[in-house]
Amino acid sequence: MATGSAGILVLIIAIIVGTVLWKGLPAISWEFLSTGPQDGMTKGGIWPMLRGSILLMIGTLILTLPIGILAGIWLAEYATESRLTRAIRASVSALAGTPSIIFGLFGLAIFVLKFNLGTSLLAGWLTLAMYSIPMVVLTTEQSFKEVPQSVEEGAIALGLSKWQTTWKVMFPNALPGILTGLVLTVARAAGEAPPILLTAAIYYSTEKLSLGWDSLNRPVANLPYHLAEGYRQGGVIPEKIIWGTCLSLMLLVLIVNLAATIIRARARAKLNW
Amino acid sequence: MKARFVDWIMERLVAISGISVGLLVLSVFYFLASESRYAFDRKFPYGYRIALQPASAPSAEAVEMDPNASVITAHMDGLDGLDDKESLPMPTLAELGGVATTGTGSPLVSNLSEADPTQLTRDDWRAWKSASEAETFFLYAYGTPELKEDKVKIRWEPDASYDPKLGVHNIRLKLIQSPAGITAPKVDVDLVAQPSGEIELPAWQAKTDAERTKGYVFKIEVEPMAASNLTATLGGFFKSEWSPTSQYPKYGFLALLTSTLAITGLALLFAIVPSLLAAVYLRELAPRRVREWLKPVIEMLASIPTVVLGYFGLMLLAPGLVSTFGKALSFDSGRCVLTASIMMAILIMPTIVSIAEDTLGNVPAALRQGGEALGLTTMEAVRRVVIPAAKPGLLGAGMLGFARALGETMIVWILAGGTATMIPFSPRALVSPVRGVADTIGIEMANVEFEKPHYGHLFLIGLVLFLLTISINLYAQRVSRRSLSGV
Repeated sequence: MATGSAGILVLIIAIIVGTVLWKGLPAISWEFLSTGPQDGMTKGGIWPMLRGSILLMIGTLILTLPIGILAGIWLAEYATESRLTRAIRASVSALAGTPSIIFGLFGLAIFVLKFNLGTSLLAGWLTLAMYSIPMVVLTTEQSFKEVPQSVEEGAIALGLSKWQTTWKVMFPNALPGILTGLVLTVARAAGEAPPILLTAAIYYSTEKLSLGWDSLNRPVANLPYHLAEGYRQGGVIPEKIIWGTCLSLMLLVLIVNLAATIIRARARAKLNW
Repeated sequence: MKARFVDWIMERLVAISGISVGLLVLSVFYFLASESRYAFDRKFPYGYRIALQPASAPSAEAVEMDPNASVITAHMDGLDGLDDKESLPMPTLAELGGVATTGTGSPLVSNLSEADPTQLTRDDWRAWKSASEAETFFLYAYGTPELKEDKVKIRWEPDASYDPKLGVHNIRLKLIQSPAGITAPKVDVDLVAQPSGEIELPAWQAKTDAERTKGYVFKIEVEPMAASNLTATLGGFFKSEWSPTSQYPKYGFLALLTSTLAITGLALLFAIVPSLLAAVYLRELAPRRVREWLKPVIEMLASIPTVVLGYFGLMLLAPGLVSTFGKALSFDSGRCVLTASIMMAILIMPTIVSIAEDTLGNVPAALRQGGEALGLTTMEAVRRVVIPAAKPGLLGAGMLGFARALGETMIVWILAGGTATMIPFSPRALVSPVRGVADTIGIEMANVEFEKPHYGHLFLIGLVLFLLTISINLYAQRVSRRSLSGV
């Protein structure tokens, strides 16, 4: 029975991924990926949305990286066991399980309205970063904890200071885990519609490659929102394009995912503990 | 020296980062709560149509609007399209033409006997008050020279889509002036207890325009029932009808919450057993190599964007369910509780599998070996020793899956049907279209006017959702920890 359940799970995954591939692949072509929508979305490609999703992903990655990793290091290496740190750790993991729509509301209240950024790429970055940071903190802390204690003790015995130990010895060992956590989280964030729904998204865009400082203040089209809004407006986008868009979004997330998993496996194989 | 300086800097830097991330939860809470305050700015509209009619007018017909009836209706400035009617003056007898009776309402009267008919307008006929505000309207009603009957009647009924039971005001209709020489019966009606009805009165005709205020005068007294706008808003929040954009907005959150709980509970029911079994397989039975590729594959399912899962359900699962069970269960739209909960079960399975598998892995090997040493087979050892030891952690895994489903937006948005009505307490609930908490925020926030009651209510339901998921998450963590330390 247990084996059967695992089999059913794998079957479900195969059916979903397979269907999206089977229905979506015919729509995908270089032209589909590289041109904008035409004739009120009934024809053409998805370049503006793809571009928006990639932009959102990169910006989120850059914003999440320093704070997420530093805070993770603090929890793993510096925070002494006390009521305060226990509370912080609990609240970080509670936040990691908080629904993305809540971060959408938060981003709307603080970035879009309070900081007056408007519905913009920048507000979307900040919102997605808030959504991602708790998860990155947890995976960073976890990666540090996985480094054997003997490594740390050895470094201290050699006379390295606390930070030198953390940075020169522990960090390189924990890096594969940290990177994987970071990339997985950001890929997941890029697939979420609710946070950007309220902070960064625009439905109709034919924007080309143009990218300047003012792009930060403009809303961006992106894949998940495009699908959500396409559903809301009902029946405008032809089925073939929808499947193509679904597939592009899924591939974007899964490819990043796969890359991260492979990197981790490679790096782990090199570390001999 | 240099090393010590870098240490000093970095120690502070990481501490600041850590503590600010810890504070994030407080600031999320603060901003959700502070934006929720707009919910409490809400008004509690009421609306009645009140008319003086010839006694022979059919009672089954709806009380007509202008010019025969006076209408108290909910209208906000500029939002309801009623502005063009606002400044209508009291119609003159000549303007009334063949109309037999009429009434014009106004709140702008200090001395009834001196009221000047030419000054009466319906300018402030707005019944858009906060819960603690009182209001008084006057209704001047009279027969025109065309009135042939010797009886008239005052009729009233609630405005379409206004439900007096959901109001927070006591509203009374009183006759405060009868025409000279006429003894009218006492009229003093509680419009909330008796939302529609009629009372017969002797007929009276205004012969000249100046006499229009000398006929029957009714007073409509609106008194606050609730203690404050805060309690009244909360009272409205814990009701079961959600229709925030109607003329009489209702913000009954229970309709959304019960739908979400139904979908989530059902999803957990579908997901829990297969997930736990799969976790047992992964940890206890699978060869090491199978486990090494199977776990990432299952976790991959968790990373498929939920909007893609939603579309998959929409285009394949929903039509499939309709064509298989549609006839037997008599439903024709696949967008319902059942479809949403099946997709939701698929969504939360990887979460539960992954956490449950970790929990099983944390059970000390000594326990299992002890069981096996006593002659149990692997499966028996798992069932009698490992699972009982890991029970709290498995429970925690289920709860985390539940919390994940509770806040899921896109699957419910796309698959649940989007109708914000109370889910029925019957098997029909399975095939009813509903709308949940999280997707309502996503659907409605796009069309909402910022910093208004509707906006505030969306933050309020967000706040409730946040507190709900955070408490489940924290509780699940505690339970799981107990499982580790208890062994």
